[in-house]
Amino acid sequence: MANGKWQIASLKIAAFLDDLLKAHRVFAPVKRDGLVSFEPIGRGDEALLGFRNSKRSPKEIFFPCSETLFAYQEGEITVVPLLEERRVIFGMRPCDARSLILLDKVFDAPDYQDPYYVARRENTVIIGLGCNRPLSTCFCTTVGGGPFAVDGLDLLFTDLGDRYLVEAITERGEALVADSPHFREETTADVNLKAEIAARAEQAVSGPSVEGVKEQLDGMYDDPFWDELHEKCLGCAVCTYLCPTCHCFDIVDEAVNAQGRRVRNWDSCQFPLFTLHASGHNPRPSGKERMRQRMMHKFRYFVENFGEVACVGCGRCVRECPVNLDIRAVIEAIRTS
Amino acid sequence: MRNPYLPYPVVIRKITDENEARDIKTFELVFRDDADRDSFTFRCGQFAELSVLGAGECPIGIASSPMEQKYLQLTIKRTGVVTSALHNCEEGATIGVRGPYGNGFPMDMLEGSNVVIVAGGFAFTTLRSLTNYILHPDNRGRFGELTVIYGARSPGELIYKYDLEAWAGRDDLQLYVTVDAGDEAWTGLVGYVPTILKEAAPSSDNAVAAVCGPPIMIKFSIPVLDELGFPPGRIINSLEMRMKCGIGKCGRCNIGDKYVCKDGPVFTFEELQNMPGEY
Amino acid sequence: MSELEELLRETARQLLAEGSIELVIGYERGTLPLRTTPCFIRDPDQVERLVWNASCENNLATYLHRATGKVGIVAKGCDARSIVGEIVERQIAREDVVIIGVPCQGVIDRTKIEARLDGRDVLEADVSEGLITLRGEGFEETLNLGEVLSEGCVTCHHRDPTLYDVFIGEPSGGAVEDRDEYAAVQALEAQTADERWAYFANEFSRCIRCYACREACPCCYCAECFVDQTQPCWFGKGDDLSDVMAFHIVRAYHVAGRCLDCGACVRACPMHIDLRALVKKLEKDVRELYSYEAGLHLETVPPLATFQPDDPQEFIK
Repeated sequence: MANGKWQIASLKIAAFLDDLLKAHRVFAPVKRDGLVSFEPIGRGDEALLGFRNSKRSPKEIFFPCSETLFAYQEGEITVVPLLEERRVIFGMRPCDARSLILLDKVFDAPDYQDPYYVARRENTVIIGLGCNRPLSTCFCTTVGGGPFAVDGLDLLFTDLGDRYLVEAITERGEALVADSPHFREETTADVNLKAEIAARAEQAVSGPSVEGVKEQLDGMYDDPFWDELHEKCLGCAVCTYLCPTCHCFDIVDEAVNAQGRRVRNWDSCQFPLFTLHASGHNPRPSGKERMRQRMMHKFRYFVENFGEVACVGCGRCVRECPVNLDIRAVIEAIRTS
Repeated sequence: MRNPYLPYPVVIRKITDENEARDIKTFELVFRDDADRDSFTFRCGQFAELSVLGAGECPIGIASSPMEQKYLQLTIKRTGVVTSALHNCEEGATIGVRGPYGNGFPMDMLEGSNVVIVAGGFAFTTLRSLTNYILHPDNRGRFGELTVIYGARSPGELIYKYDLEAWAGRDDLQLYVTVDAGDEAWTGLVGYVPTILKEAAPSSDNAVAAVCGPPIMIKFSIPVLDELGFPPGRIINSLEMRMKCGIGKCGRCNIGDKYVCKDGPVFTFEELQNMPGEY
Repeated sequence: MSELEELLRETARQLLAEGSIELVIGYERGTLPLRTTPCFIRDPDQVERLVWNASCENNLATYLHRATGKVGIVAKGCDARSIVGEIVERQIAREDVVIIGVPCQGVIDRTKIEARLDGRDVLEADVSEGLITLRGEGFEETLNLGEVLSEGCVTCHHRDPTLYDVFIGEPSGGAVEDRDEYAAVQALEAQTADERWAYFANEFSRCIRCYACREACPCCYCAECFVDQTQPCWFGKGDDLSDVMAFHIVRAYHVAGRCLDCGACVRACPMHIDLRALVKKLEKDVRELYSYEAGLHLETVPPLATFQPDDPQEFIK
């Protein structure tokens, strides 16, 4: 147990999660209706260990599809209590963990903090699972991440076969494991095997380089490149909603007479309504402007404002786009434009 | 940490019809809690998100001068769901405000300069705030000559008529009030704002021009200002965008890498020239 | 590349070169195994991109909503029926579309493939002679194409376009499998209302309101969809189950009598929601009540868009 490293037998993971359940709500990957999703579990053995990644990203554990900001009745406002319960997410992939760091820049900014999001971040410990076998659609390494990267994680678990190597990334992660009886001392062989697995996994990831893309985009706003790119785009929100770094939302009131709530819902820059003025004027009247906005936001504006590309290479948009509009191909086309 | 999505409750103390069509009203709002009022220290050119529970929110430029300690004034044109709900409110009703948001007018550029205000129609609101601020005895000395050119489609559509009358009697500003078309009673200027601007020909020497109005007015005013010698970096404009959060998180009001709610809504023309044309 | 594809490309080349159309909407190779992607070709020299195979799953007719000028469009049976519907509903003029009909063997349902692979990542896929071979790290599996076709394709009786300007290749013949296309609907009809509600509530609990179903559907072309209206606002836009189900049920009714079970909505849905359960039921009802199948004739109007004095009306109580 030196340097915040341990070993846990695969068979003991369920027991470890059962212990966590005594004091936390635990989210873990489960299979529901044929799809993998991160959901609260009731017992440790419900957690799925052999999965690639979830269909929906775990960003919704911090930034739900829909959440009530406050309720009101006869003019009096009742704020929804912020999250106080302690939570653990088990099995998050490094790409999704990295996306939380990017979302923090938006929701936990120096000028304004989103209390709903911040409370969830403060009360949630994240246990990551390294990707021994990245998917062919993964490209985390080209956008600042990696299959065993630790940004955003409190602990990193690596599957070594019949056991896992466990590494503490933060003090919070260490505290979760340090007194648990299920963990043993790690061995040099464990550490070496992890290094081998990680190296192989990194080699397996490939994707378009984003080097120079921002600079290209700086000069491409009026480029005819955008005229045809969007033609096959349906204008749905699959890419934006499944994307772990997309953060746009709508605020609406739902009320009957004087009673109701103000609710925050996910929204998408791909919808025409997104930028429609009450006067009827729309600065982004067609799919062309909206597709340009998506690419510019992720690979130019976010870089300008926060120094990072707003993409973690998880590949969900690549796999799920109903028309196979592949962001990797777009990045490559921009780069070589 | 204050929850930035929670509106401060405000009571509508007075509602003033501003125009003949009765679709523009000024709401005078008083904070229910003094502590809220103290938190709401604002600058000219900033805006607030007005909240009507059950209808939603809308971003409205603040029309009262920051020198008014006791109340806020916001002038609202009935356009959609929320503004219609506001127009249906009565004096004494409680609504909400969030803010103040936005960068406001660049006072460091304006102070020590001559100020030329060019406004058209309903867009006069925040420039009216700026005018009253400059005219306040505590502030007047810090600004040079003040020229205000304001126009509307017809005499009935002029807003803040009570201010226009009060300013007409003053000698510390040059006021030009014009209409596109007069009526039997109108004895003032007749002509489009850009035309009157050209005739007034304010000097660009150590001057800053603030222009707010319908796109067509701006389109024709800019060449006039250019001819008068105003460089794009000394012409300021306030933009409108569809907004929701007002605090740079919901992602919808951006023009390029700038959020209109946070980095704007006030931009110089030089800044606008370097931004993508999506507004 | 097959003979069919050669013919298809040559046809497109001719049409573009002679100037009778400005654009061909077709399919080209995708970036992933088992994917093709819609392509928009304006230059006759680019026709080599066109492909036609069992991965051509998108209904291209939805792109006619935005088309200007005269366009050519590659159409399988269901797509062509959708185009008939768009012409009948005056979304496009007959003379503005050149339908390049292709025979259809059915399209692959990728969720069936995913279920068979159970998490394994397919790196290569080949389809030939009714078999599909999937290859990945450490595995190779061959399946019958019939096992992984989209459900609607298995029982489809209109595999070839009923309306076309050019038809490439040989007619397809009858349904892939001779079984009752309404079996799944009948199973649901046999359930109690509570059981059905529980089934749909579970399916729609996964909906993320991405509207991929609506955007993929050739019938959905309203400039302002009812869910986007604010004055009045009919339904909430969040994930409240009641609002989600209201969206899907109302949309199903909006397309009833016009929907021909092309499957585009089901294939577009990232959450694998059983949308067919709703639309197929309504399609069955329309067929039984009005003896009508959508998209077969330019001269007939969808029954819910018109009224005959002898229309059955026992459902009006």
